[in-house]
Parts: sequence; C-alpha cells; structure tokens
Amino acid sequence: MSAPLFSKVLVANRGEIAVRVMRTLREMGIATVAVYSDADRNSLHVRMADEAERIGPPPSADSYLRMDRILDAARKHGAAAIHPGYGFLSENAEFAAACEDAGVVFIGPSSQSIRAMGSKTAARQVAIAAGTPVVPGTEGPVDAAQARAFGRQAGYPILLKAVAGGGGKGMRRVDREADLESALRDASSEALRAFRNGDMYAEKLIERPRHIEIQVLGDRHGHLIHLGERECSIQRRHQKVIEECPSPLVDLHTEMRHAMGEAAVRAAAAAGYYNAGTVEFLADAQRNFYFLEMNTRLQVEHPVTELVTGLDLVRLQVEIAAGRPLRLKQEDVRWRGWAMECRIYAEDPYNNFLPYPGKITRLTRPLGPGVRIDGAIYPGWTVPVDYDPLLAKLAVWAGHRDDAADRMIRALREYDVGGIRTNIGFFRQILEDAEFRAARLHTGFIEEFFERRTPPQTSPDMAVAAALAAALHARSRFRAPETTRADSTSNWLRAGRSGLLR
Amino acid sequence: MKLHLTMDGAPGQIEILSPGPACCFRLNGEQREAAVETPEPGVYSVLLNGRVYDARIEELADGARGVAVVIDGFRFVVEVRDPRRMAAAAAQTGRQGAATVAAPMPGKVVRVLVALGDQVEAGQGIAVVEAMKMQNEMKAAHAGRVASLRVKEGDTVSAGQTLATIE
Repeated sequence: MSAPLFSKVLVANRGEIAVRVMRTLREMGIATVAVYSDADRNSLHVRMADEAERIGPPPSADSYLRMDRILDAARKHGAAAIHPGYGFLSENAEFAAACEDAGVVFIGPSSQSIRAMGSKTAARQVAIAAGTPVVPGTEGPVDAAQARAFGRQAGYPILLKAVAGGGGKGMRRVDREADLESALRDASSEALRAFRNGDMYAEKLIERPRHIEIQVLGDRHGHLIHLGERECSIQRRHQKVIEECPSPLVDLHTEMRHAMGEAAVRAAAAAGYYNAGTVEFLADAQRNFYFLEMNTRLQVEHPVTELVTGLDLVRLQVEIAAGRPLRLKQEDVRWRGWAMECRIYAEDPYNNFLPYPGKITRLTRPLGPGVRIDGAIYPGWTVPVDYDPLLAKLAVWAGHRDDAADRMIRALREYDVGGIRTNIGFFRQILEDAEFRAARLHTGFIEEFFERRTPPQTSPDMAVAAALAAALHARSRFRAPETTRADSTSNWLRAGRSGLLR
Repeated sequence: MKLHLTMDGAPGQIEILSPGPACCFRLNGEQREAAVETPEPGVYSVLLNGRVYDARIEELADGARGVAVVIDGFRFVVEVRDPRRMAAAAAQTGRQGAATVAAPMPGKVVRVLVALGDQVEAGQGIAVVEAMKMQNEMKAAHAGRVASLRVKEGDTVSAGQTLATIE
C-alpha cells in the first residue's frame, strides 16, 4: 500500500453522507475526523470516525454551518483537507475560500467556480456564454408588446414569471396570444401584491419535462469529462424520491448522452470547474434539453452513477483534491446495466408525509444480490428532530431496468424500520405502476400517480393474521376474561383495504 | 380470554384459546389455527393456511388507541380492548366538551400563538411545531376558550402530545 494522499481528512457533515465519505476515506488509508452537534454525539458518523470534535448545539446555524468552528476543528486535529458532503457548507463559496486561506484543502471546486455557478441567474449566463442550451426566455422584464414578440418567436405555450418571484406566485401559463395580455396583467398585479414588484419575464413552457442531470468530473489540470446521466423525474414537492441511471429516455437515444455530456462539460469548463459536479437539465418529449443549474458538490443520488460506471466518486474527489491528474479518459467511461435508488425518509406517508423523527426500535435491512444501502441509522438510535429526514438511500443494480425495479421491490419488502414512520411502503406502488414501467416519466409524475392509483387488495387471511398478531401483542400486555359479541370478518377486510397504502 | 377488536373502525371479537407456537383462536365465532412465533420483540411470524405472514407491530402516537400491524407493506390499524377494563378506562377519560389540540409529529414548539383563556375561532392557529425543517401550525378544531396550554416555546413534544385544550 502506498502512502495515503492525505494523512487525515475532516468530514464537515453528518448523517448518511458523512458515513459514506468516511467509508471511502478508510479504504484509502486516510484517518477521519467527524464534527458533531450536541444532537449527534451518538450518531453513526461520530461512532465510526477515528477522531471527533463537538462544534455546537443542535441548530445547524450554531454547528454544521459554523465555518470558524469547523476550521478550528481541522486545525486542532491536524486535518489536511475537508470534505463538505452535500448541503450545509458544501456550496458555500466563502467556506471554500476560507479553507483555501487556512491552508486546508477543500475537497470540491474552487470558490470562484462555486460563485460562478452559485445563483441560477449567474449560472444561466455562464451556460449561455458556453453555448449550452437554456430554456428560451426574455433576459429581463417585459411589457405586453415584448411578451407578444417573445411568444411568436418561442411558440406557445409560454410561462410568465415574476422577476422577484417564487413559490408559484405571479406565475401564469399562457396557451395562446389572445390570452397573453390579461394573463400578464393578472400575474403582474399578483406579483406586485406578493413581492411589491410587478416586473414579469417570459419563458418557454416545457411540458411534462424530465429532470435529467449529467455528472461531471474534472481535475486541477484542465481535464474535464462526464460520467453520463441520471434521471430524477420522480419528485415530490420538488424533492427527488427515486433516481435511476441510465435515464430510460437517454438509453433509447444514446446520442443524447453525448450531446448532454458535452454541453455539461462546456458549461463546467466555462466556470473553470474541477472536482465532481452535476449539471441539471430539463428535457422535453422531443428530446430537447435545457440547462437548469449546476450543483457544485457531490450529489445525494451519486450511488446510481457509481453502480453503473463502477467508479467511486468520493475516491476520485479525494484524488483530484490532492492534485492528481485524472487517469480516466472520456472513452474509458462505460455504462453497464441499470441502477435505481429510493430515498428513505423518516416521514409518515399516512399523514401527508410529515416528518416523523424518533427512536428506532427495530431495524432489518435488505441483503442479497445487487443491493447497496447508504445509511446512518441503527437500532436504538433516536433520529434527531433538528435535521433533514433522510435516513438512508437504498440502491439496487441489475442488468436491465425491469429487473432493477423488481429487485428494488424485493429489497423494499425486506426493509423494516420500527419505532418511527418511513416512506418505505410508498415506493412499491410506484415501482409497480404501468406508467413507471413504461418509463413515461416527468416531474409531475407523482401528482398524477396519486390521482390515478387504485389501492392494492389484500387477502382475507392477511387481515386475519393482522388481527391475530394485534391480539397476541395486546394479550402480552394485559389479561382478563369474558363477555361476548359477534361480527363478521367482512367489515374488517373492507376497513383494512381502505387503510392500506402498501 | 375474549377481546374486542376494532380494525380501522370495524368491530369484531377474538378469543385466544391457546397462544403460540400452536395457536388456536376464535375470530368472530370461527375457530382457526395458526403457527405463531415471535422471532423479535414486536414481530409475529404467523403461518396460516400454509402462508407465512411477517406481522410487525407499530405503536401509534401517544394518546392514539391501538397499534398498526404491518404485513408486507399493508397496514392495519387495530385496537384491542379487554372488555373488563373498559369501565375503568372510561372513568379515566376527561371531561366532556373539551377538545385537545395535539402534535401530529414529534418536534419542537417554535411558536405559541394563543394565551391561556383566549377566545379562539375554529381553524385558528394554536401553536407551531417544527421537525426536520418543516413547520406545522396546529389549529383549533372548534371555537372556544383556551382552557389549558400545556407547552411553551422551545419545548420538545412527542407525536400525539396534547398542546392545548379548547372548551
């Protein structure tokens, strides 16, 4: 074994991603330093690290977002580099710069690249300059005449959006020119009320878009490649839920992979990018794709790319950060088989997916062929209320998409987390859905799915088994006799069916 | 022992004639047999008519009655009552006419929006509970007077915990 690239690396994160990063560091012979808030002393990332440092009370603003304390911890423990994971400080240009100033290697891109890609509008300018397609739109506020001109040039439908907007306020879909003027007036006055700014811009509406993103990787010597795409169209409240690699659309039209890959590499190069990053695109049914934004960090869903390419992205990140030239050339990258990932959240699918932290009393994880879990939970651990509800990522690999979906269902059926609520039971219906299997995916998929789904049927004996289990469980708690009353099982079956989610 | 059951609102009755492993029970008058093991606490492996059911018990939120039984992703909410204890339980339930406002999830109280004795409208916010970056406003189900206020800002609450009562 040769000398490690760094003797010690601090992981400035928590949860599954901190654990995932530490796993690779350990494989590389690099000592690990965990940082933790008071809510995380018992968390797995602290337990498995070689060294650890407390950085404050539970709120993120007082702990995982405290650059000063994290840099102090790095100094105190003699860490040569910091891996930021995702979230928290990972896309904070100021933190990257502070690391650079402190002589600690930031395992990620330069602070300048983060800044260049930091805001959606700045990133859009970079992409345009690099010749990467963006969603056609007016660059600034428009009046009715300018909006009309844009509509004629881009074609309907178009979308009117508030310059100061967000959350769908001051947004209008316009399907024909006749509706344009009144829509602009309404949206503008709505924006004025909501944001005290009635300025509107216009954008081409991408109908039923897919979210497809390209993983890029670059070294500090100007060598930049892409590792193909991931499809992340299955989203709920703009949160990705299921991701896969390859994208079923791109898999049918592999020329898209090269076109999108090249476009992503061009945009990244324009920002002087190195290390791992992700360029997000919207794609329409005609297979046009448009730059959305760039995430200047390791992505949550990176395991599906790893499973299909056979690469370890964290290892590559560390090598790049150490100044190593990328040995991998574009033509060396191969995509083999199919990977899918489900994000397991501590949330209650029976109560509007509200977060549901608490103590994990029971845990059985799926095993067997083609299963990978990136998680940070263990039985007896209490999921803190202070952070993101992501518990684990369940990823599977198989030769083909249908086999991967079947394998995922099998793995989900083995997964049992007791004591808290999770969304584990929710995935199966999607994975069995005919539209999902036909890969007719788009970002509004889950909303439509909720409208069309019919709850699956249970067997009479299953309801009997449930009643028996509940009775035996209750019996173990109390004992006493007698009274009578009769009824049929049919009512229960009906009731059981209405309440199930599967 | 005979027990009253309610499965997602539908009533029934079960009598355990002999518990596991060779379990004999009478469900709504019909006598049946099953092989039952408890491989882990809260997990019942039920072998019924040649089929295996791995039934996992989920405790419901504090204050909610019964348990959820999850079998292969299907979920049954089952309440089991010992009829002899019902009288005692009834005696313990609170005064009539008071409605409780409870936390739907474990979390932290970030804001209390009313004071003790306030008159509130139906749908008026009582407190805001936050967990995992999501805030939830707990509202009064009925108009009335805030008869008790059990939490203050910064308190940690568990699912089902009473935040306030409205009379």
